[in-house]
Amino acid sequence: MTLGTTDGAPTSLESPARQIIELDVQGMTCASCAARIEKKLSKLDGVQASVNYATEKAHVVAPAGLTADDLIATVQAAGYDAALPVPEAKPRDRAAEIKRRLIVSATLAVPVIAMAMIPPLQFPGWQWVSLALATPVVTWAAWPFHRSTLVNLRHGAATMDTLISLGTSAAYLWSLVALIFGNAGMIGMTHRWTLSLSHDHQLTSIYFEAAVGIITFILLGRYIEARSRQDASSALRALAEVGAKSVTVLRGGAEVTVPIEKLVVDDEFVVRPGEKIATDGVVVSGDSAIDNSVITGESLPVDVHPGSAVVGASVNTTGRLVVRATAVGADTQLAQIAHLVELAQTGKSRSQALADKISGVFVPIVIALALITLVVWLVLGESATFAVTAAVSVLIISCPCALGLATPTALLAGSLRGSQLGILIRGPEALEEAHRIQVIALDKTGTITAGQMSLDSVVPAPGADADEVLRLAATLESASEHPIARAIVEASHATTEQLEDFSNIPGRGVRARVHDRPAAAGNAALMSDQGWAIPDELSQAAADAAKRGASTVFVGRAGTVIGLVAVTDKIDPNAAAAVGALHELGLRTVMVTGDNQAAAEYVAAQVGIDGVRADVLPGDKFNVVTELQAGGTVPVAMVGDGVNDAAALSQADLGIAMGSGTDAAIAASDLTLMRHDLMLAADAIRLSRRTLNTIRGNLFWAFIYNVCAIPIAALGYLNPMFAGAAMAFSSVFVVTNSLRLRTWSPKH
Amino acid sequence: MITNYVVTGMTCGHCVNHVTEEVSAIPGVTEVKVEQAGPMTVSSDTAIDFGTIEEAVAEAGDYKVALA
Repeated sequence: MTLGTTDGAPTSLESPARQIIELDVQGMTCASCAARIEKKLSKLDGVQASVNYATEKAHVVAPAGLTADDLIATVQAAGYDAALPVPEAKPRDRAAEIKRRLIVSATLAVPVIAMAMIPPLQFPGWQWVSLALATPVVTWAAWPFHRSTLVNLRHGAATMDTLISLGTSAAYLWSLVALIFGNAGMIGMTHRWTLSLSHDHQLTSIYFEAAVGIITFILLGRYIEARSRQDASSALRALAEVGAKSVTVLRGGAEVTVPIEKLVVDDEFVVRPGEKIATDGVVVSGDSAIDNSVITGESLPVDVHPGSAVVGASVNTTGRLVVRATAVGADTQLAQIAHLVELAQTGKSRSQALADKISGVFVPIVIALALITLVVWLVLGESATFAVTAAVSVLIISCPCALGLATPTALLAGSLRGSQLGILIRGPEALEEAHRIQVIALDKTGTITAGQMSLDSVVPAPGADADEVLRLAATLESASEHPIARAIVEASHATTEQLEDFSNIPGRGVRARVHDRPAAAGNAALMSDQGWAIPDELSQAAADAAKRGASTVFVGRAGTVIGLVAVTDKIDPNAAAAVGALHELGLRTVMVTGDNQAAAEYVAAQVGIDGVRADVLPGDKFNVVTELQAGGTVPVAMVGDGVNDAAALSQADLGIAMGSGTDAAIAASDLTLMRHDLMLAADAIRLSRRTLNTIRGNLFWAFIYNVCAIPIAALGYLNPMFAGAAMAFSSVFVVTNSLRLRTWSPKH
Repeated sequence: MITNYVVTGMTCGHCVNHVTEEVSAIPGVTEVKVEQAGPMTVSSDTAIDFGTIEEAVAEAGDYKVALA
């Protein structure tokens, strides 16, 4: 279809009269929706359309006369909506935005608090200066809280933001009223340390310091939180980085290098050894082994021949291949994985933060108490001023300053401790999920096993010598780059001998002359090609090895098979202890693997895993996690390391990435383990649970002082000193409690 | 007259709309009721050729229709 153009433009599709239009399609609920839109678009004169349900994109080849608007109108007529794709907007830098507000807030709050708490600083007119300093804090710096309060109010919800907004607004407005209409505005007014039960201080006190203190502390907490949370969209960026950037296309027999975007379906392209395969396709010519580990995490390369399907972003190891592209761009498996990650991440409802849950109950109670206070004092015949003072005091004291610190300080201390131990915690959601999970799914390769091939055993034929078998195998395999070959070469410390007439027989093994005698190493088919008989003992040994999930290489010389070498992805020595630790945490363990049932069960039995999901295709791990979640009733954690695990990690309630894994897996996870050690997963869950308990304790201490102060406020005895003391005590308690996490150590 | 059919392959509300839309477009058809589970009731002035119905349903998407 491509006629030897060298500029990379496929002539048949991009002739001047035609254009390619990509659309984002909205509203599709099943695959038949996609088929429907495709049909409607294709009915337009000269239009060829393909609509992808998973990626929600339409790829349309249209005559030059048609505009994108025509196409969009057609899609809309079919009952859906479409738009031209918008270039991905740069994610707003939340941390930077909060930081700006925090700096302004803190700068202005320090003098306000200092003047309020230290009477000698209360120079004549200080209260008016406080007003000037507090105004931008309460309005601009606290704007996110007010905005969120209004949004939540619309659907009748109250969150931590409501509490903050309510408390600070009450404190500020009340102080303003006191300044203008009360005695507080009199030059020379000072706060006194007094616990007198007199009712005469109405409208003489100001609470600017409570308002700015709360806002500053909460902003500080939010800033710590925003900083510690990684950007979710980095998962997708990491995935995009994985793919090849350019591709060598065959055009009219010549090799032309073009950017990957220029590649179209049915193009034939060349993949040299060591190169990444540009896109999904089918091998046209050449034999090689493909390292899929970046996609599947499976370490064993797959042999490919003409007709074999290959996946984009996997690495070609040994031979030159010509591949015909079957899918490009958004239709490739890599793009589908990226889309699944995106779907899973957006679908993952942010678990409601604990502080918000408490606030949701607390706020209505506080408002009710304030109203009761107002009514009761009025009924008892107190002045309206006094009744309002008491009621507003209830609102002012209700917002715990330490509320904003409770979660972030514990999270920060827990994260710091975690990073010392090699555990990265994504955010507070991870902690809550770690507390809830009941099932933990473990990807076998790279999690329970080491993730790379190493020598399992050497079995000599009767009468042969094991060292000799290994040495000959290493000699033969030294010229091969196959990971099985490398494992054998690494295991043999003997010097290898001279090779002549070396040849690599794809899918079978290698053959050469050693000391002028024919020698070969490979599978049973290679031995029978040579006409060499495999002794029964070796066949049996090979079958046993296969049951353990090991791969075997027969080694023969001059007409005799002298033995076999088995290599395997070895079980991590700590895996059994780690699985035991996970069971101690009350979790059910499930191993997920692409291996056959027998090999999977062998490994599972070795490490004591409860359940096995074998024969799982790389793309199906996502489905296994979904199935384990049983419709959302069972919280599931997933441990993995490959790019293909990314979707499963996102889908899991708690995604745990092995740090030895790929960036995409790490970006899609909630917890990341920096060492290749499954025991860290148990430690991570234990640390998460401990941190969550600390947060709970903190919230208790944050609220308790203020709760105790509410009766005082309701009785009309609240003064700024009380408010300040409650603020200071609860903050100190919360910070101290959090710091205890820094000495936490995993007990084994 | 009213004729009952069974449509298979519909997976969501959109599918129901697709089928309804196409069958309604057949000349002579006055009313079409489709349920996602399969039953389709077609009211028409005159008898509609089953082939025409089949064609319309196929046009709507990857669905099959049979006389109930």
